Amino acid sequence: MSENQKTYTRFSLAERIEHIVLIASFTTLAVTGLVQKFAQSSISISIIAALGGIEITRIIHRAAAIVFLVQAIYHLVAIGYKLYVQRKEASMLPGFKDLQDAFQHFLYNLGLRKERPKMDRYNFVEKAEYWAMVWGLVLMALTGFMMWNPIATARILPGQAIPAAKVAHGAEAILAVLAIFIWHFYHVHLRTFNKSMFTGKLSRHEMEEEHALELEKIEKGLLPPPPSPEELKRRKRIYYPVAAVLSLILLFFVYRFVTYEQTAITTIPPVSAQSENVFVPQTPTPLPTRPPTPTSIPTPAGQSFEGPLSWNNGIGQILVQRCGSCHGAMGGLALNSYETAMKGGRSGAVIVAGDSEASRLVTTVRDGNHPGKFEPQELELIIRWIQEGAQE
Amino acid sequence: MANRYRYSSRLLVVAIAVVFVAIGLAGVASQNKPQIVLAEAPLVEKGQLPNNAACLSCHMVEGQVKEFPNGDLISVVIAPETYGLSAHATLSCQVCHTNISGYPHPENLAQSSRDYTLQYQNTCNQCHPSQATELLDSVHSKIMAEGNLNAPICADCHNPHEQPKIKKDEQGRLTAVEHAQSAMVCGQCHSTIYEDYAKSVHGTGVLVDKNPDVPSCIDCHGVHSVRGPIGGAAFRLSSPKICADCHTNEEIMSKYGLSTQVLQTYIADFHGTTVTLFEKLDPDQQINMPVCYDCHGVHDIRRADDPEKGLQVKQNLLITCQKCHPDATENFPDAWLSHYIPDRNRYPLVYWVNEFYKYFIPTVLGGMGLFVVSDIYRRWVVDRRKKNSIPAETVVESQKETQDSDSLQDQQEIKSVEEENQITDEKRQDEENS
Repeated sequence: MSENQKTYTRFSLAERIEHIVLIASFTTLAVTGLVQKFAQSSISISIIAALGGIEITRIIHRAAAIVFLVQAIYHLVAIGYKLYVQRKEASMLPGFKDLQDAFQHFLYNLGLRKERPKMDRYNFVEKAEYWAMVWGLVLMALTGFMMWNPIATARILPGQAIPAAKVAHGAEAILAVLAIFIWHFYHVHLRTFNKSMFTGKLSRHEMEEEHALELEKIEKGLLPPPPSPEELKRRKRIYYPVAAVLSLILLFFVYRFVTYEQTAITTIPPVSAQSENVFVPQTPTPLPTRPPTPTSIPTPAGQSFEGPLSWNNGIGQILVQRCGSCHGAMGGLALNSYETAMKGGRSGAVIVAGDSEASRLVTTVRDGNHPGKFEPQELELIIRWIQEGAQE
Repeated sequence: MANRYRYSSRLLVVAIAVVFVAIGLAGVASQNKPQIVLAEAPLVEKGQLPNNAACLSCHMVEGQVKEFPNGDLISVVIAPETYGLSAHATLSCQVCHTNISGYPHPENLAQSSRDYTLQYQNTCNQCHPSQATELLDSVHSKIMAEGNLNAPICADCHNPHEQPKIKKDEQGRLTAVEHAQSAMVCGQCHSTIYEDYAKSVHGTGVLVDKNPDVPSCIDCHGVHSVRGPIGGAAFRLSSPKICADCHTNEEIMSKYGLSTQVLQTYIADFHGTTVTLFEKLDPDQQINMPVCYDCHGVHDIRRADDPEKGLQVKQNLLITCQKCHPDATENFPDAWLSHYIPDRNRYPLVYWVNEFYKYFIPTVLGGMGLFVVSDIYRRWVVDRRKKNSIPAETVVESQKETQDSDSLQDQQEIKSVEEENQITDEKRQDEENS
């Protein structure tokens, strides 16, 4: 077997599954979060629409956050197992050497150094990413809690902590996503496609380039020997209950986190204007009172007539003024001239000379069957005129 | 060989489109203000006074009423002076009262005064078709169609016997008096709302100061196509645009020292974001996120510094928050930035967090970018140039490999590494199993 074909196990199956869950929750959080941050952009709107609306988008975001938190708890427990039970080196802890490595690697890139720095199991690239993730998780969880539970937050902190948390949450999201694009994608996808997170293995060449120090330790047998089975068993007996209690406590915190209050998801309906009765008419339209007041048209009623009554002496004047506007040029009975008045309407004469009781001109109006009325005095004159022969 | 693979097929072109930063307020669609279309040519020629004397001879007589079977009374008196000043002075009675000719008038089957008015529901359409069309979209027509007979028809707002020609200025805007008058017309049926409105900052502006900058009912609800919150959430969800029409207009707002950032800051906030999204995606959805009027009042909008209701008064703001967040405590209202953009003095915490990230993000990403660029330079420029200058590199390498394998010492070392590696693998297997 050639050296170059030799592989070095880097990630256990559990770690690889953890990473896949992380990809899923992180991506979900990023997509559903960024569309909320840039909610007015048309792309965001189409994504939100595709997800089923803003409320569902928010619920998905929260669900992914819960997955993220639970995974963080699992990760803590797993680290505890490695450090306590397996007594492995805390190889992810950052140190001065990482700064040095980064600087030296930079100089190497610029051609100012001949060799790449030799790096351990986790090099500065990976540590930077890991600790950025930890920092991001803590900050996102804290600010996320504040936005998820604003009322509880405002009991302890000033109110403006909530919009400040929103600013930090959004800015941190941008930072995290862009860092993944720039740092993570470059180092494990572009520069070289590092498949170890899926296959679990690194080639010797990859080890040489990125973890030369670890390779050296492996080759020189400098790694601490694995603990004996008895020792492992003893430690597990101690660690499992501790880890169980710790995870339960942390899970309880997560549970409280997500159920503490519902304000940000559901609020009670606002007092709606619709519940008011909008139709409240003002005081009713003023109406005239009954009985109608007498006409205000000046009439010749009060005039005295000299000589015998005739159409030309008084009566014509009354009839034209009182009746002419309807019983004039409109057809039918026309009371605007002596001839037509005597002729009557379609149903015959209305004036019977000498018999006022047979004259419908008198009876219809007197009995109140007509909208227009005569003044009593006028009616008297008309009756007298008919009795006297209805002269022209 | 992995080495060969590494140096030969490394033309990875990956386009990563960071699309999330495409920000753009999808244009807040401007409101279509209903236009009042003047009546097309009336049925009689203008200037020619009709002969309404026949009707007026009776109907000008004061005190005449018509009684309906249900006991309603309506006045049937037309004052010739008022009618003569109305927009309809040139029309003869029968243009509208087409069914009445001669006396006695034909029997009318209306059971109530409302029945009678509704008989004229479509009468105005013959001369005012555009207004009639606008009316079709109104909440009034909607509730009328649902069987609510109180819904107004033309004549309820414009008394056809008295309505003078509506006076407008050169720009076609209602004169101040007409503007104020319009609110009173609505008040005839919406008297409680009118009373609230009359006390509001808008109401006093319109009714007392006769200020045409200030909205009367019709400026928000429309003239004939009257919109309101009845039957669906669409009005509510789009209502911020109505307020924004004036409140983002620098020309108007600067006169009163009011901020034009109110819409922008509202949309940036949780409530506004949600409302805007629902308005775009699901406009008929009833949601509980507040729109402008949920906090500022529907018709009783007061000045922000009004001691009784103004939202600048902290206690008033808290009460407002508690309408939807009953558990809210004293600090809670500060979670809302009161339409301000945070600065050093107002909401400094928010301002400084923002400032921090303004520098933190470019610093971190810049650092990463710088390293990545240097690495690209090393790998794609320097190493490639080397490779091209020594085309026999692979040969040299394979030779080296052969040499390496020749060395017995090295072979032994490989063996030991292999053993090591096996141990490590077993160890990990153990881990996985555990």
